[in-house]
Amino acid sequence: MTPSLGLRGWLRLPVLALASLSWSFVSATSHSFENTAIVRTVDLGGSLVHVTTTYAIRALDNGAQQYLVTLGEKEAHSTSWFEAKLKGQNEPLTIATRPLIPHDGTYAYIVDLPKPLGVNGTVNLVVESVLTHTTYPWPEKASQKDEQSLKYEGDLLVLSPYRTATQRIKVRAPAPRIISYTTPKGLDAFTTDNVATKSSATITYGPFSNIPPSASTAFIEEHQKHIVVHYYFEHPVVEITSLKRTAEISHWGANLNIQNDIDLHNAGPALKGHFARIEHQSQSYFNRLAPHIIPSLTFHLPPGIHSAYYYDLNGNVSTSRLRLTPSIPKAAQMKQYSTLELRPRYPLLGGWNYTFTLGWDSPLADSAGYDASTGLYVVSVPVQTVIPGAVVNQAEVKIILPEGATDIGVFPPFSPLAQERSTHITYLDTIGRPSVALSFENLTDKHNGLIYVTYKVPLSAHLQKPKAVSIAFGVLFLVAFLARRVDLSLSK
Amino acid sequence: QHLHSVAPAFSPYVPVSFLSYLAFVLLAATFGLAFYFTTLPKSTIPTREAVVAIVASTLGSFGVVALFCSVGVYV
Repeated sequence: MTPSLGLRGWLRLPVLALASLSWSFVSATSHSFENTAIVRTVDLGGSLVHVTTTYAIRALDNGAQQYLVTLGEKEAHSTSWFEAKLKGQNEPLTIATRPLIPHDGTYAYIVDLPKPLGVNGTVNLVVESVLTHTTYPWPEKASQKDEQSLKYEGDLLVLSPYRTATQRIKVRAPAPRIISYTTPKGLDAFTTDNVATKSSATITYGPFSNIPPSASTAFIEEHQKHIVVHYYFEHPVVEITSLKRTAEISHWGANLNIQNDIDLHNAGPALKGHFARIEHQSQSYFNRLAPHIIPSLTFHLPPGIHSAYYYDLNGNVSTSRLRLTPSIPKAAQMKQYSTLELRPRYPLLGGWNYTFTLGWDSPLADSAGYDASTGLYVVSVPVQTVIPGAVVNQAEVKIILPEGATDIGVFPPFSPLAQERSTHITYLDTIGRPSVALSFENLTDKHNGLIYVTYKVPLSAHLQKPKAVSIAFGVLFLVAFLARRVDLSLSK
Repeated sequence: QHLHSVAPAFSPYVPVSFLSYLAFVLLAATFGLAFYFTTLPKSTIPTREAVVAIVASTLGSFGVVALFCSVGVYV
């Protein structure tokens, strides 16, 4: 139903489900499809690589409805986002990938086609996936003035448990400046022409024809080729090593406070030599910064926020500019974002880190609703504030609900690595607030969903705070009452 | 979830813009009542003192919660 998150999350699974998948894997690979054409486009980026694979499939059996998409081991481990659609449609298809067990060196995703196909029925399947941590800077060190170039390493052929008539792989760099690319040898069984051709920013491998079912270790060992593409990359490579997001809901103040603790890392080439401030000043003056330097970041925050704060270990950081947009009704399409341009205290050179805290308040009416018939409150919290092209290595989202919340239901947009419930104590709390912490791994710019949380808070729980404070006041009055009756005079 | 888009937006018991004025009014009343409490005569059955104390405590508690929210702590 929703795109899957990454391989590690699936490894914690019940044994029964494992058994059921292996049976269904075997039954689904009963050669009921044939790929008439597979076209894969690999869009190279900084820390993220977008892969779009189009399968033109033809059913060989009647009533074939489950199609298997297989990935090699390395690719499956780097895939953080996986979505399948029918060509021309917007609705993603159901992918029954949970659980996913490796079978013969490949990892399989079962895609449920909406309608079963008759014999010789054809359909075009478009599979989009995002790979993380497949590129690295090369050369690994660069001085302040040098260019930035990255290497992408990956497997060449698209594996499939069905026969493929023809296959073509295109690797597209963001700019037409490719330094080198591998020309694989030993694929004469599938092609007679030039294996690799380059034109401007695209390298085309193929076409390869008549590939037998390739989802097996035997095929991988014999025919799968490894390619390395070395290209210039003109934007900084942003990586967030850790994101801790805390969302605190207040009913008395009708406010949702979101606070992010971000560890920012520049995953470009490490700095060779020392940082020369004068070089940096002259580059900034002429507006020609080297491509691997991060001078500032732009965050697109939700509309209707106020009281944003940005500080780090040293204290408040004032080098930021926030442009606010007015509030929009709950669940309306976000057309305008509040923009925050952050400038860290120092420009981030390759390999440098910067840790900071960014938070804001937004009216609760923008993200929460109350269903009077069931007494349920529903609130939506975005998983992350997406920075285009950045990868988040580890993320933890903690949602703190008001005191006395019961019947808590959590609905994340994609399955988390772990979910934890705990109690969080803050100002004017007596019993503490229930909080839900979800942890994720390898988030990309496509992971911009909302976490929905439902909960109930009875009126008595709302009054818990005033009751606690009134008891405190009452104690003061009691002390005063007793004190007035104590006679402290020295003489009668 | 689709319930989220359908359910009416959240509205607090007290509108937010009133909170700071409410805080001021309630806390001023609490201060006044506390002062009055100190002027009450001592008696064996402290009914009046107890009533004043209870009223002042409740007013004060709502005042403190409103105060916290109006300065941005959002309890």
